[in-house]
Amino acid sequence: MSETRTETQAATQQPKLLGARVTRVEDPRFLTGNGRYVDDIALPGMLHVAFVRSTMAHADITGVNVDAAASHPGVHAVVTGAEMASQAKPITCDSLVPTWQATEYPALAHERVRFVGEAVAAVVADDRYIAEDASELVRVEYSAREPVASVEAAIREGAPRLHDGWEDNFFVKRHFTGGDVEGAMAEADGVLELDLVSHRHSGIPLECRGCIADYNRGDNTLTLWTSTQIPHLVRTGLADVLEMPENSIRVIAPEVGGGYGIKGHLFPEEIAVAVLARKLGRAVKWIEDRREHLLACIHAREHHHRLQVAYKQDGTVTGIKALLYVDCGAYSVYPWTSTMDTGMALGILPGPYRIRNYECEAYSVTTNKCPLGPYRGVARPAACFSIERAMDEVAHAVGLDPFEVRRRNLVRDDEFPYESVTGLIYDSGSFHEALEKVCRDGDLEGMRRLQEEARAEGRYLGIGFSCYTEQTAHTTNEFIKRGVPIIFGYDTAIVRMDPSGTVLVHVSTHSHGQGHETTYAQVVADQLGIPLESVKIAFGDTATTPYGHGTFASRSAVLAGGASLRAAQKVREMLVRFAAEHLEADPGDIELAQGKAFVRGSASRGVEIADLARWAYHRPEKLPDGMEPVLEAVSSYDADPGTGTFANAAHLVLVEVDPETGGVKLLRYAVTEDCGRMINPLIVDGQVHGGVAQGIGGALLEEFVYDENGQLLTTTFLDYLMPGATDIPKIEVTHLETLSPFTLEGIKGMGEGGAIGPGPAVASAVADALSPFGHVFVNELPLTPERVRKFVQQATGNAV
Amino acid sequence: MNQHHEVTLNVNGREHTVSVPPRKLLVDCLREDLRLTGTHVGCEQGVCGACTIIMNGQNVRSCLMFAVQADGANIETIESLASGPDDLHVVQQAFVDCHGLQCGFCTPGMVLAAKSFLEQNPSPTDDEIREAIAGNICRCTGYTFIVDAIRTAAERMAGEEAGQHV
Amino acid sequence: MKPPPFEYFSPTSVDECVSLLAEHGEDAKLLAGGQSLVPLMNLRLAAPEVLIDLNGVAELARIDRSGGQLVIGAMTRHREVASSELVREACPLLAEAAALIGYPAIRNRGTMGGSLSHADPAAELPCVTTTLDAEIVVAGPGGRRSIPAPDFFAGHFTTVLEPSELLIEVRFPAHGAGPGWSFHEFSRKSGDFALVAVAVQLPGDGGSTGLAIGVGGVGDRPWRADAAEGLLADGRRNDELFQQAAEAVGAQAREHGEGHSDNDYRGHVAATLARRAFATALERTGR
Repeated sequence: MSETRTETQAATQQPKLLGARVTRVEDPRFLTGNGRYVDDIALPGMLHVAFVRSTMAHADITGVNVDAAASHPGVHAVVTGAEMASQAKPITCDSLVPTWQATEYPALAHERVRFVGEAVAAVVADDRYIAEDASELVRVEYSAREPVASVEAAIREGAPRLHDGWEDNFFVKRHFTGGDVEGAMAEADGVLELDLVSHRHSGIPLECRGCIADYNRGDNTLTLWTSTQIPHLVRTGLADVLEMPENSIRVIAPEVGGGYGIKGHLFPEEIAVAVLARKLGRAVKWIEDRREHLLACIHAREHHHRLQVAYKQDGTVTGIKALLYVDCGAYSVYPWTSTMDTGMALGILPGPYRIRNYECEAYSVTTNKCPLGPYRGVARPAACFSIERAMDEVAHAVGLDPFEVRRRNLVRDDEFPYESVTGLIYDSGSFHEALEKVCRDGDLEGMRRLQEEARAEGRYLGIGFSCYTEQTAHTTNEFIKRGVPIIFGYDTAIVRMDPSGTVLVHVSTHSHGQGHETTYAQVVADQLGIPLESVKIAFGDTATTPYGHGTFASRSAVLAGGASLRAAQKVREMLVRFAAEHLEADPGDIELAQGKAFVRGSASRGVEIADLARWAYHRPEKLPDGMEPVLEAVSSYDADPGTGTFANAAHLVLVEVDPETGGVKLLRYAVTEDCGRMINPLIVDGQVHGGVAQGIGGALLEEFVYDENGQLLTTTFLDYLMPGATDIPKIEVTHLETLSPFTLEGIKGMGEGGAIGPGPAVASAVADALSPFGHVFVNELPLTPERVRKFVQQATGNAV
Repeated sequence: MNQHHEVTLNVNGREHTVSVPPRKLLVDCLREDLRLTGTHVGCEQGVCGACTIIMNGQNVRSCLMFAVQADGANIETIESLASGPDDLHVVQQAFVDCHGLQCGFCTPGMVLAAKSFLEQNPSPTDDEIREAIAGNICRCTGYTFIVDAIRTAAERMAGEEAGQHV
Repeated sequence: MKPPPFEYFSPTSVDECVSLLAEHGEDAKLLAGGQSLVPLMNLRLAAPEVLIDLNGVAELARIDRSGGQLVIGAMTRHREVASSELVREACPLLAEAAALIGYPAIRNRGTMGGSLSHADPAAELPCVTTTLDAEIVVAGPGGRRSIPAPDFFAGHFTTVLEPSELLIEVRFPAHGAGPGWSFHEFSRKSGDFALVAVAVQLPGDGGSTGLAIGVGGVGDRPWRADAAEGLLADGRRNDELFQQAAEAVGAQAREHGEGHSDNDYRGHVAATLARRAFATALERTGR
């Protein structure tokens, strides 16, 4: 008897993997240099592409002479925009929002160029070295047009039009009103007028873009390996622009060396390379170099905000009027459209606060700059910057502690689910608790003591913080509201058990660092009662994975994790049914654990899951009547109600400012984050760390600088500065787990969140550090030393 | 002008002779001629460190060297550290245990920089670790877990028991 | 970003280098550590037809003491200069500056001769050699000549080196432990190029021999802050005097940096770094 009990205990004591801090199963191949990125792939006879790129920000192309380039030894083809236009349609991605004005983004520019770096011609040669030699021989003649190199230049009366047929330089104009803003302004005890700017920067993955196209003339099929986050959407996009049947196209995303949203686009270069492969009947490879990446990949985050903030003397913010401009560059990007940043900023600007009176005018502006797309957090870093700085300014205006002002404005736990004034449904959260907790865990009191001690020594330490809530895993209903042409409403998983009892899961998402091979395996292994090592996750190949949207918007854990869960549940039901038949038990009494299916309470009445699997495929006569020899299921998951689930966090930072040089050093950084149920807390920590580091980069270092002629001045890592290990302090993360009432297992997304908090937290810390000199409104990112020095001079009235 | 030079390199303990034009970067030679694709190209400016190799015992940027310069050199790339996924070097294992990588692109360079550093400074402070890897950009991890991994590797190499990070 | 084609030579002696330079002259560039030149070639901003690799010229890598001078061969790596006991003892300002160059990997390959020939106005070694009035020894078809560092730098990334010449060694005054010294630089992030750098050598005995203040990062080449040096020339040392000297550095920086949009800012940083450098140097004189 006792032996049976022990067996039963052992059999049922499989520790749950969901929530476990499991180290990543995918790590060894990356650590040994065996990860296979696009540039690691070599196909027989493969040729190499270099692009000729525009040196003009805005011009008509009056001539392209390729003779010298085409006859250079080792060159196989030189293709211009004119030829490309006959081979592929331009990229279009049109919003359904009224006021939308459309652009066409050609694979190679052929009549007009609209940003420095736009590809104008493509040279195909035996190797990249030769291709670059030949590309220097291509002669492009331009007739200059007046460049529009800033929002101001674009919205000015009489500004040149970038796109024919447009009535102005706005992709879209949006206007929202909720509540009674005029009333709030009229009844306010004060109204603050605040201007804020987040300068242009971007995700800058360490692996640049790259693709290999291989066209098989025998059966007219195209295979494209590309460093992308969205393989299926790229495939569909290619089918559209190449006017090829989609079932003749296969897109394979191998390992991707970082994406952060930047690689979630269909790129003109991908189209060009596909056309070149088709033209030459050979494999053609393009690996982007860093200069191209900075010039012409995707830029992000350039927001100009003007706020009017109505407040009461008790520190409550009663209304906001906002005017937002996003500099979206020259073209609308696929699949997002140029509405993404603008619309999101409009929606989330009120933040985690109870602000019922809100009016927002928001504009996506076109300029002669590289196109802008979504980057980790998208508009939320800029929106959070605005609302958090506003809260701090209100605190200063009414003479209250900024923490107290938050407490008086943050949505309370008993108000969830809370519908914001813009219709976002904050399903659950811990807005107050996260702020309290980060102050405890980050030792706010200790920071204050250090600050005091430092002041006595003539050093200037500052404490800053920020709070935010982040929409994650939003699906159908949210994207319908946004008016985008493709509704990213779900992701999908196929769970398949093979005769040996191991499992292969194909998912429609694509991991570029998020550890999906481990986290989804945790979910599936739990469902099927088999060890983690028995579950393998596959993604990236459109020939074998189910259609879905890819990885972005902090959604994969919820959606693909959820889809994997559901599909695994279906396979579980099959195994349970089979086991029940075999064990002559009721399916309701069957448990799966540690590789066995057994009758609950009677571990000796069991069968190996591996045996069931073998029988299902090789001994189908053993299957129950009506059960097919298919231990496989596909499920998609659109997390109801489709408007997302809201994660939240609070960030706390201690900085030291050198008022003489404007140098800012981060001494301590703490985060308390709440993403509902965590599949793997180790992965969550890693995502927070990475997001915070990128947020710090945007807060202090990273900026794309264009001159007034639209020339990009920051074209190498010597000018565009990336944070290194001595720029980022240790990031301390603690967690809360407020489950979502909407999603499977209560999981929320969180991949982007870390990047949202640092901008305002660091800005508020710098302002706090300078407070002995006087109050200064720190309203611009990045806080370069020169800008900080200007704030010091403002604070001291130029005395220091 | 592009006449090829014959270059003999000892890479990961094996001698290779390749014929390369003078301008071929060492990183491209390793990746293409020797098919050692673990060393990565991130910037071709010597800033990001993804191309880090150990040459004659020193941490160097292979994107800032021409293959012809490596004639007669002893080179270790990431592939020299472990014979397979079940036989990781102590530094590599520490990266697994501490979640010191995400997308993996900076990882080979980071691991070699760490290994080379620990050979010179076997018991570093965290600040020293950060200085040592300041020339290796990671865009995914924010460095906290990388520093943990290198500290853990140092402790393990010194024979002490490091508390499991996880 | 692949470099354009070139012909490659790897000589093993200085004489061989000189012959190669005589033959190829304007078309040739010397390859030292490569940490500055190769990025430019990868960007195709430099396209020499001939590259003469100095890494095999063993006689160029040395650190010696000779008379009252510290002699550093052109191909001595920054790492060596930073960690050499001899350098730390004979010329600690040089060791301190070398340790601040870039990152470990850069210091493993970058060289004294390469850095000086590249003549980046923001770089550490041009600043220190100018401050210390080092002698830069150059070999050419006519033999060797010695150029005082302040005369060596001619502008942004420009030196007085003829196409037929190569830098073979640098001779620093070996003051030893006598004077106080310090090197302060400010950059936007660690390892990045300095926005402003200030090097100070302060005689310990209250005298003026060996007093030197050098500034890098402002203007097209490093320069001596002679106005500030003048204020400290009589050997007096007090807070007010140092403050004045720092302000003089700032004022002179604004002259050198005229025309730049951030000139006022850099001038202020120069004055700040000077003040801090004086304090550090003074402490090190032991007074």
